Amino acid sequence: MEPFYTALNAVKVLRSSVGHVFDTLGNGVRADHGEENKDNKFLLELQELLSTVNVNLRELDQAVNSLTPPPGPFNLGNSTYLTQECTLERQALYADLVKSYKWTDKVHEYGNLAVTLFSQNSLKRSYINSSSKRRRMQTSSHNVPPQTVDQVIGNIDRQFSDMSVTIQRPYATNAVLQITLGRILKAMAAFKGLMIEWVVVKGHGETLDLWTESRHKVFRKVTENAHAAMLHFYSPTMPELAVRSFMTWFHSYNTLFSDPCKRCGNHLHSALPPTWRDFRTLEPFHEECKP
Amino acid sequence: MGVTVLQQFPMVENRTGPQTIEFLTKRVVALGAVQTGQFLVDCETYMSVPNLGPQRTVHVVHNSEAPASVFAVLESGQRSVPLVADGLFDLLMQKMATIYSKKQPKIEAKGPRFEIADFCVKLGSVTMGQNFKGVLVEVEYRPCLVASSCWELVREFLQGFLGSVVPATPPPYLQNRMNELYQPIDTVNQYLEQFAQYRKATGVR
Ligand SMILES: [Zn+2]
Repeated sequence: MEPFYTALNAVKVLRSSVGHVFDTLGNGVRADHGEENKDNKFLLELQELLSTVNVNLRELDQAVNSLTPPPGPFNLGNSTYLTQECTLERQALYADLVKSYKWTDKVHEYGNLAVTLFSQNSLKRSYINSSSKRRRMQTSSHNVPPQTVDQVIGNIDRQFSDMSVTIQRPYATNAVLQITLGRILKAMAAFKGLMIEWVVVKGHGETLDLWTESRHKVFRKVTENAHAAMLHFYSPTMPELAVRSFMTWFHSYNTLFSDPCKRCGNHLHSALPPTWRDFRTLEPFHEECKP
Repeated sequence: MGVTVLQQFPMVENRTGPQTIEFLTKRVVALGAVQTGQFLVDCETYMSVPNLGPQRTVHVVHNSEAPASVFAVLESGQRSVPLVADGLFDLLMQKMATIYSKKQPKIEAKGPRFEIADFCVKLGSVTMGQNFKGVLVEVEYRPCLVASSCWELVREFLQGFLGSVVPATPPPYLQNRMNELYQPIDTVNQYLEQFAQYRKATGVR
């Protein structure tokens, strides 16, 4: 690509110096040539310009020589048929075609960049790195019949005596759960199939909906952590296990106000209780004391 | 409305009421609290006239935290009947002046109100009639509605700025209601419990 750009640049330089010659010729003898020997001075200037043209021409020659000619005619694929188009308004299609080709090219390039970025991100929610062994028994976690969802949630509801989970379906088939954890807190979780998409945690006395956050700082923190947990537990290959793990983790908040921090032993840090629960051990930690 | 714990801060010699409030204000602010205005809890006590049989007492309490409500607690023997009404209740009490009459001076707690994270702290100087009686500290932990779940947490918070004067057990009124859902009337009852102590005491406490 580099020699090609050099060659194109040489053409540009040559054109500009030739243009300069004709410019000078067109203007003829100018006032700044003075009175004495003005013809000679003009001729000298012209000669100088012509020699620049020569130099530039040689440079172009060199640049062109270093280019490797294409092995054969370019294959334009189906776009060659455009030349056979005889309808007037369709003859301009080629320009559009080139434009959209460039655009697809860019999309492809950005796509590649995005893939590298996303594959470094551990919170992905796609099949991208599930092993080929698992790939065979892959199930779609977003496309699950409502009966299956009801069954999974029903099992979770029965599993914990102090956590009640009820299912609503305000938006077509996707479930929205209302979770009541003792008299400590309430939450709403929106599902897509068996995938948890959104969680909002609020206090026992607050009105629950999907979009407004709690007026208490502690529940805003728990909401944040619940978002981290729903991404952490997400598993496209085992959606049921993911939901069950999330719910078990979430259930550990029944001691939100009564358990001291595992690290510092205190109830409060910055006037907040331990709002973090370890994903594996479910132990309580202050945000600042997190391992 | 969350679990609220009310406790008195004992007065020491050579520190006046305002000085005590200022002393506590400094400590609360050092924790990161921000002052959010003033508060006032006042209590009028009415007695039933003797010719109506056994004497009954009605405490009528206003709390600036619930400005649209009037709280009333009727005491008759061992029983106590709470009532939460709107502002018209005050007028009703006036109409019943022939049945219930004021016998005691008005008692009130007022002072600065602070917020820090989900806590609300109120430092009240208690006056009965014109006399200064002492200092009450109210701490509300708003996210929690069940006292048994957060008593230790609230206690730790109280200790953070009151030090060793914080008792190991919740206020007597709260002890019987540790597993109930906390209601605004519970705060009123705690104030009545404290006000009763101040009435008994001679001088400051
Ligand atoms: Zn800690």
